[in-house]
Amino acid sequence: MPNLYTPHAMVIREIIPETPDTTTFRLQFKDAEVARAFTFRAGQFAEYSVFGEGECTFCIASSPTRMEYIECSFKQYGRVTTALRRLNVGDIIGLRGPYGNFFPLEEMEGKNIVFIAGGIGLAPVRCVIWNVLDLRDRFKEITIIYGARSVDDLVYKRELKEWADRPDVKTIVTVDPGGETADWKGEIGFVPTIVEKAGLRGTDTVAIVCGPPIMIKYTMPVLTAQGFADKDIITTLENRMKCGVGKCGRCNIGSVYVCKDGPVFTYAQLKELPDEF
Amino acid sequence: MTPPGKRYRIGPGQLAAFASALIADGYVVIAESPDGKGFTALKDGSAVAPDTERPPTALSMKDIVFPRAEPVFLYRKTLDDVQVIDPPSPPRGVVTFGVRPCDAASIQTLSKVFDWDYHDELFDTRAERTIVIGTLCRFTDDRCFCTSVGLSPSSTKGSDLFLLPLDDGGWILQIVTDKGSRFVARCLSAFSETDETGEDLVKRYPGPAVRFDPDRIRSWIPANFDHPLWPSLAETCLGCGQCAFACPVCHCFDLIDEADSFQHGRRMKIWDACQFPLFTKHASGHNPRDTQVKRYRQRVSHKFFIYPERFGEILCTGCGRCSRGCGVGIDIAEIVEQIEKTAVAESVARER
Repeated sequence: MPNLYTPHAMVIREIIPETPDTTTFRLQFKDAEVARAFTFRAGQFAEYSVFGEGECTFCIASSPTRMEYIECSFKQYGRVTTALRRLNVGDIIGLRGPYGNFFPLEEMEGKNIVFIAGGIGLAPVRCVIWNVLDLRDRFKEITIIYGARSVDDLVYKRELKEWADRPDVKTIVTVDPGGETADWKGEIGFVPTIVEKAGLRGTDTVAIVCGPPIMIKYTMPVLTAQGFADKDIITTLENRMKCGVGKCGRCNIGSVYVCKDGPVFTYAQLKELPDEF
Repeated sequence: MTPPGKRYRIGPGQLAAFASALIADGYVVIAESPDGKGFTALKDGSAVAPDTERPPTALSMKDIVFPRAEPVFLYRKTLDDVQVIDPPSPPRGVVTFGVRPCDAASIQTLSKVFDWDYHDELFDTRAERTIVIGTLCRFTDDRCFCTSVGLSPSSTKGSDLFLLPLDDGGWILQIVTDKGSRFVARCLSAFSETDETGEDLVKRYPGPAVRFDPDRIRSWIPANFDHPLWPSLAETCLGCGQCAFACPVCHCFDLIDEADSFQHGRRMKIWDACQFPLFTKHASGHNPRDTQVKRYRQRVSHKFFIYPERFGEILCTGCGRCSRGCGVGIDIAEIVEQIEKTAVAESVARER
């Protein structure tokens, strides 16, 4: 009996090492029919699986404007991510999805966009960045602020350079104090400090923020001080999930299911939630 | 087709004959197991003798529609490919005899979560292929509280057919749903239609006294997430999860892989419980519900606030299994009573 937990077979086309513990997979559907029918929006996630090991929840890190492949980036932590890291080009993994809500791209049109990300938190943001850059003329000024613990821990290094080289994007890359190398030319400082220094203006601007909880916690007040309304700060949560479709019962925060009502939430929505995430 | 609402008289011994005929026809006949642990498939129809004077079984009948472990798919791997194989189709023609109202109600409640937005075909198919023959419950102890959550010993919610046990050893069979009517049509000729409603029987078993008003709890919970009452409610909870496994409507599950070898294996949907520390733990080590107090608050909130809010039903049938089985004597009805007492005291204080 086919059922909603049945994954699609995906072929690993390319493996891109990002950092010592983070990898990006470029995937293609094994079945061309399934590939044609598959659509998603920036911000949605999927359940990726290694057969015999289990499933893991990651965002779709590639942009829906580039449908020839699906990309995911993951950090090696547990059983499934360790198994994923052992795979080779040509191997098959499973994918269920897309699930969850997405960033309100239409509402963001005509506005300035600020992307703020920390560590592997750049993965869901990168999906929106490429989506926005591929529709560049629909948006005003675009700023990308990205930080990691050290130069080694920066993900998507090739793309960071590509964005920095573009005249129509302002890109600021920072590493935590002590994480710099001798030839580091970017900023040195924690993300909230760099956001403060960037002198952003909250009027007519949407901020998309994703990173570790501690970064989010200290970045939000800075954005508020710069005049961002709570509804114009958008983030994405990643609670532990299994089913991804509002049934298995673990990702809820109060009566809100992150897998169904999220993972994308505005800061205004987050403020309404009980403090349990 | 006999419309729902009609009643038939089943003589002593006729119920067992009915069950035997079903088994002979290839039906899977399920009833409470004699050892009281759960539900079991019967080999012999004569063993069908619903006895609702006994306490409810330790495990509920949710196992039938939402098994403790079931494959969602099988896989076969070769060096360069993976084949995903559909799991076996659930059995057809499952008939459950002697189901108490607090068990029968669970299927409808569970279908709300398994059937919203995305449909869980495995649950749907099992539910569709199961005939529930509910039975008047003649048992009450101080753990029972079906009457506080909108049910009663004679509720027909979730039943396709409903039995009232008569003093002479016979039964009144009531047709509840169209599905029950279609199922029973083939054997109605053996039974005689009756006008008896069994009202006196129903009156004889009113069930436990009402202990709390769930609506009051529902509005209190979201407004009091950090209330000092929470830590005191489940201080002794060991986090063993028996309450969730025994519960007819706890539906949390995990998806895990079982590999037999490099080539073969399956992905399993298995029962899980919000009382386990690893249930919500992120890969990073961060855990939103890192204490038993938070986990117990989640359990109570899910049952009396979150599920009613999202699905319009209380996630509890008042069967009392969680309390009867609890190793440290936590009684959920007592917990809810305490919450209600606090809620009432606070609203009185506010009005003063």
